[in-house]
Amino acid sequence: MPANRNIIPSIINAVIFIVLEIAALNMLNNNEKLQNIWISAKIHGFMAKAWGGSESIRRYFNLSKENEDLAQENFALSQKIRKYQAYIELNHISEADSAITKTVGFKYIPASIIKVSRNKQHNYIIISKGSNQGITPKSGIISRNGVVGIIDAVGKEYSYALSFMNSEISISARLGKQGAVGPMVWDGRSTKGALLKEIPLQYKFHPGDTIYTSGYSSIFPADIPLGVAGTSRIVNGATNEIKIKLFQDFSMLRYVTVVTNVGEVEMNDLEKSEEPVNEKK
Amino acid sequence: MSQRNYLITYIVMVALQILIGNYFRLTPLITLTLLPAIILCLPDRVGTGGALLIAFVSGLAVDWLSEGVIGLNALALVPVAFVRKGVINLMFGTELSERHESFSIRKHGLGKVSFALLMVQSLFLVIYIAADGAGLRSTSFNLIRFSLSLLTGYLLSLLIVDIAAPDERK
Repeated sequence: MPANRNIIPSIINAVIFIVLEIAALNMLNNNEKLQNIWISAKIHGFMAKAWGGSESIRRYFNLSKENEDLAQENFALSQKIRKYQAYIELNHISEADSAITKTVGFKYIPASIIKVSRNKQHNYIIISKGSNQGITPKSGIISRNGVVGIIDAVGKEYSYALSFMNSEISISARLGKQGAVGPMVWDGRSTKGALLKEIPLQYKFHPGDTIYTSGYSSIFPADIPLGVAGTSRIVNGATNEIKIKLFQDFSMLRYVTVVTNVGEVEMNDLEKSEEPVNEKK
Repeated sequence: MSQRNYLITYIVMVALQILIGNYFRLTPLITLTLLPAIILCLPDRVGTGGALLIAFVSGLAVDWLSEGVIGLNALALVPVAFVRKGVINLMFGTELSERHESFSIRKHGLGKVSFALLMVQSLFLVIYIAADGAGLRSTSFNLIRFSLSLLTGYLLSLLIVDIAAPDERK
């Protein structure tokens, strides 16, 4: 109670003080031009700081939403680039026959990562899109920094994927745009390390050369940059095994794109129908 | 000093400030003011709320009747009234307030009284010079103005304490 007795008069005095100061400032503001400009400038400065501060706080709490929007925008821009690439490729057929299939025939769906494991030998990813959004098993998952994984099972709203950081996954990769092709696997240790295997010894390369997807699998389009070559070692005296530093850091993963080969079913049917014909021959 | 006598003394001192404002403007570098000392010397029975209102009215009176910048003295003087009790308690101890006595040079010494005067005078001058300059005066000008005004105001305020502090005249 004594504390309350001391606090209440202090609050009243503070209120009187503030009211009288505001009144004095108001008089000064209304009666003198110079002071009017000065006070206005001070008030505007204060308001700008206050609004700026509140805006910063608001933005901080909206970062998640803004990131979602940016991911959507990024995806839309990537789609446009892919369309332009396809257009350019279609108009230069003689220059790059193999390039026609690089982006044509793939469907892209943006998704965000719901859950990701990183500290196992068989890591997995769960993404926010499922069969209702058109995701199918054996689709690839990419990001702007490379390959992320392969869809393994699909639910209605979510999909389960094997991460590239999984000892069961191997991706067909190429040394440079025209170099040798070999399987690329996770190095089993870091979130940015991989190994490119079975590169014949006669193919020369230099540390720092870029590694791309080869396009030889039906899962990933060709020429997606994956990482850069590092040191190498000769395996069994026959092939090179090259250490790769991936562009994609799996510890930073948040937004991805699911890439589905729309011609895969047709390709599989063709493969199946071709086998009996050969047998007949 | 009786309440009535103090009221008369107070009115005379405010009138003196108005005269100073009108006739003793020697240089823009000196703002001669008695007002902070007048507020500091208010009787102890006047609480902070009352002192705030007295400071506001006194400031406005001086603004209207001498300097012409309405609100300037009121703006600078109200904070002096707000910190008055705190300055007195800090410099002269809380016993003074508990016994409802006034401070004086004889009882508390020139050093403590001077320090209290310099504190309230500085607070008043900082606000006054900043608002009066409206951001147009250079920092060096403001610093010189503050120093000269503090010195002259302090000397004049010692006189005010001598007049307003009742024990001193016994």
